[in-house]
Amino acid sequence: MSAISFGASDLTIRSDLIDAHESAWRAIAGPGTWLTGERRVAVAAEARRALDCALCARIAAALSPYAAQGAHDSLGRLSGAEVDLVHRVVRDPGRLTEAWANSVLARGVADGEYIEMVGVVAMVMIMDTCMRALGLPLRELPAPLAGEPTRYRPAGAKKQAAWLPLTEPEDTNAADGPMYPSPKAGYIYRALSLVPQSVRDYWALACAHYLPPQYVYKFDTSIRAISRSQTEILAARVSAMHQCVY
Amino acid sequence: MLRESMQIEGRQVHLGHVTHGDHQGVAVPHAAELLEFAEAVVVRDAPRTAAARGKLHAALGDAGLVDAAAITAAFHGFVRVADATGIPYATAAGGQDRPEIREAAGVNDFYRVRGE
Repeated sequence: MSAISFGASDLTIRSDLIDAHESAWRAIAGPGTWLTGERRVAVAAEARRALDCALCARIAAALSPYAAQGAHDSLGRLSGAEVDLVHRVVRDPGRLTEAWANSVLARGVADGEYIEMVGVVAMVMIMDTCMRALGLPLRELPAPLAGEPTRYRPAGAKKQAAWLPLTEPEDTNAADGPMYPSPKAGYIYRALSLVPQSVRDYWALACAHYLPPQYVYKFDTSIRAISRSQTEILAARVSAMHQCVY
Repeated sequence: MLRESMQIEGRQVHLGHVTHGDHQGVAVPHAAELLEFAEAVVVRDAPRTAAARGKLHAALGDAGLVDAAAITAAFHGFVRVADATGIPYATAAGGQDRPEIREAAGVNDFYRVRGE
């Protein structure tokens, strides 16, 4: 445990959670695999902007999420397709479709960029939601770091089980770096695997909030300050409210 | 995951109640406070979240509140990663997510399932 506070918090917050946020913001600020640090921070900013987007509000209220017309309220730092990607993932994730994902790709977003943006959005959602939940101010977005993206694409990535290519555990190689806790890792672990660095960045943060993989199926053990059933009630209710079938 | 953890702890749960936010069928300590907190956070209602946070803090203390917030936040990421990439959901929960559980939980009423 650490008495270091998140911003102005008087709460005692465990140090690994604080460290995970620090590492995640540093990762977002730096150059990624397909995006520069500047573009990654722009994605983070757009994820926050999406919460106040009038078109997103109409989409969320519409019976058919793809019938609403108009333009997203954006910051203007990303292309139209990228803004649509970020905003819909933030505001209406439970009603995304493969046809929509394909339309984003057809409008010029490369599959690696798509996955990397989803990873950044998910990390921002975790950190910002955690701060809101604790009644703390959101962290100021980091200044982008200079540098070039690695443009690394796993040789074993293929489109088969999901809407975009995955690198299945049996198709990984040493150059990909570590990605999976085990060869049987579920699809939630594989989802970002077209971009191995996004897997590592996302899961370092996610595990600090939920559970490290070695504890996920140990239902008789809780390493958190609430019981496992209390943990899973939160998980189930949040997932249900998002209409997440996974 | 919820069903398994409840069974291990010797508790009862009606999965559909959790899906629909009804704590009455959930025999877990402070279920009402936890569900209200989660819902308030998801809908981003700051005053409602503040009220729920106060009740949860009174019940669970600093560490419990922080972990409840962290877990609630984590699933704001998981749902987006899963739903934006279209991973197959048949293998969710380590393949333990059987059709009858999905029906009991009300998942078959969700948009993506109805759309298939």
